[in-house]
Amino acid sequence: MSVNFASAVLSNAILSGTSLLYATLGELVVERAGIVNLGLEGIMLIGASVGFAATFVTGSPYVGILAASLAGLAANLLFGYLVIGRGANQLAAGLSMLFFGLGASALIGGRYVGAVIEGLPPVLLPGVRGFDALVWLGAPTALIIWWLLFRTRRGLALRAAGEDPAVAFAAGYRPDLLQYQAVAFGGLLGGVGGAHLSVAYTMSWDEGMTAGRGFIAIALVIFARWNPLWVVVGALVFSGAEALQLQLQARGARFSPFLMSMIPYLLTLAALLFWGRNRRSAAPAALGRNFHGVE
Amino acid sequence: MTKLPMLMAACLLLLATRPAQAESALTVGAVYVGSVNDYGYNQAMHEGLEAMKAATPGLTLLEAENVPETAEVDRVMQGMIQQGAKLIFATSFGYQQFAFDLSKRNPDVVFEHAGGWMQGPNFGNFFGATQAAWYPMGVAAGKMTKSNTLGFVVGVPIGFAIGNVNAFELGARSVNPKAQVRVVVTGSWSDKTKETAAANALIDQGADVLTMHVDSPATIIRAAENHGVLSIGFQSVAARALAPKGWITGLGFNWGPFMTATAKSVMAHEFKPAMVREGLGEGMLAVAPFGAKVPKDVQALVNAAVEKVSKGYNPFTGPITDNKGVVRLKEGESLGGDKMGGLDWYVAGVIGEAK
Repeated sequence: MSVNFASAVLSNAILSGTSLLYATLGELVVERAGIVNLGLEGIMLIGASVGFAATFVTGSPYVGILAASLAGLAANLLFGYLVIGRGANQLAAGLSMLFFGLGASALIGGRYVGAVIEGLPPVLLPGVRGFDALVWLGAPTALIIWWLLFRTRRGLALRAAGEDPAVAFAAGYRPDLLQYQAVAFGGLLGGVGGAHLSVAYTMSWDEGMTAGRGFIAIALVIFARWNPLWVVVGALVFSGAEALQLQLQARGARFSPFLMSMIPYLLTLAALLFWGRNRRSAAPAALGRNFHGVE
Repeated sequence: MTKLPMLMAACLLLLATRPAQAESALTVGAVYVGSVNDYGYNQAMHEGLEAMKAATPGLTLLEAENVPETAEVDRVMQGMIQQGAKLIFATSFGYQQFAFDLSKRNPDVVFEHAGGWMQGPNFGNFFGATQAAWYPMGVAAGKMTKSNTLGFVVGVPIGFAIGNVNAFELGARSVNPKAQVRVVVTGSWSDKTKETAAANALIDQGADVLTMHVDSPATIIRAAENHGVLSIGFQSVAARALAPKGWITGLGFNWGPFMTATAKSVMAHEFKPAMVREGLGEGMLAVAPFGAKVPKDVQALVNAAVEKVSKGYNPFTGPITDNKGVVRLKEGESLGGDKMGGLDWYVAGVIGEAK
């Protein structure tokens, strides 16, 4: 009863790519507001550990996901305070958040290694197996974020804060508040992304279990050229590469697993090469630069 | 006058702690690469040391979990030596060089490393001879499968892991000539996301029994359980608790007797370094109890295979052909346990590429 090859690859790619999708969308919103958070991996780990612990304690995966999103939000607000409130260097603050997340998640999750939970249940639709609510909500979330960013005034203001905070300020917006909102929202999605791994996909917690997916997500933002709709494609391509190589192996074909794990970064390099000088798809102009107010 | 009572208290504390330290017959340090609750490799090590502690009155056990295979492990072991450790179990393969260097600088401390090859006057080496022990696991899987497709998730395709897969298939073939093993390599001893994806891929390809050689079997066993697929565990027999429905049996390390004997030899100043490789027969490996779904006749077959291997049967006895049709072992030839590290081919019936 082996499943059709293409549908097996696709369904596994969607399942394993969901956490990447949420985390990347979160990072994208943060970067659209002009801030780059290299600590996303740490935020995902905090989400994964808090989500797993909360699911284990309360018995409800939904409470777990909620707790993870709040934990991610809180952790990212701390990062936001450093770079927006205190004007700290974004790269240094981001890397600090990475190591903070590694340590904090190990501390939170330490007691729950090996614990058994009932994971996020599949929402059954005819013909599709094993997709939980977060999987179904992934693409719509991307669409909503696209709409918010590109079709609403607040989205325009947020993008303005990322392109030129002084302009947003002149238009009557507070760039710092817009950036705080973006950072909070990004942390929420990063927490959800991490929790999808621990609460839904693997149903287990292990130290450092995101295994670099936070960095793949940062690479994906570039690959997607800061467009939420392209993130859906990107997440599918990246997780699809992994699903494909595992399915090929199960069929007896030989692929180097080490080469396959390079694919996300190779694709990002290719994206940078091809789209590097294209103004329309370039990064937010003020990305990585702190806004210190206007004279 | 308030200082005097404090001073007295301090003296009392000193007096109270000193004899306690002297009372400890032996302080043993243990370093783990993962968590001791992983239902796998590290839990088996931890349970062995707990057994040693229980069997050796007055023994103090110092443990450190999640220690990476970097200079960090050197610092952790040095800290244990400062706390009086005279015997250190470096339980992960990548600790070898760090522990060996430290052993030269601390000739009065005995080091035992799991899985390596280095030797020194105060540096010994131990591991389970797992390959032959996988043969009875294959017998169990070959009898229980209905699709004749068995799934094997391998972390890193080292020779020992390839040997495990081969013995598993040889066991399965011995009772079911149609049984095939499909292998998926994740590229890491511990990556739960890839392990889940690998388990899914194998199930998609029709595997109805899953087994694995990764540090923690937990994720794959849980994935099998959730898909209504049977599972065979490895590393720790405790993994059985994870699959109340689909558990067949499993192979676990039983380090307790070896660790206890080592502690006793260090206490008696009779430690002799050796390269210890023991299997089912010597009791360094144990077979987990059967799951509820395993019929009595299958249990009897598996038990007979366990008995056979315990008495020295080597599954790697010719004629053996690899999965490309090349004769690897002729009639009468056999491959010893010491040759397993260099294996780079799968036996016929395994779907996968070893190189």
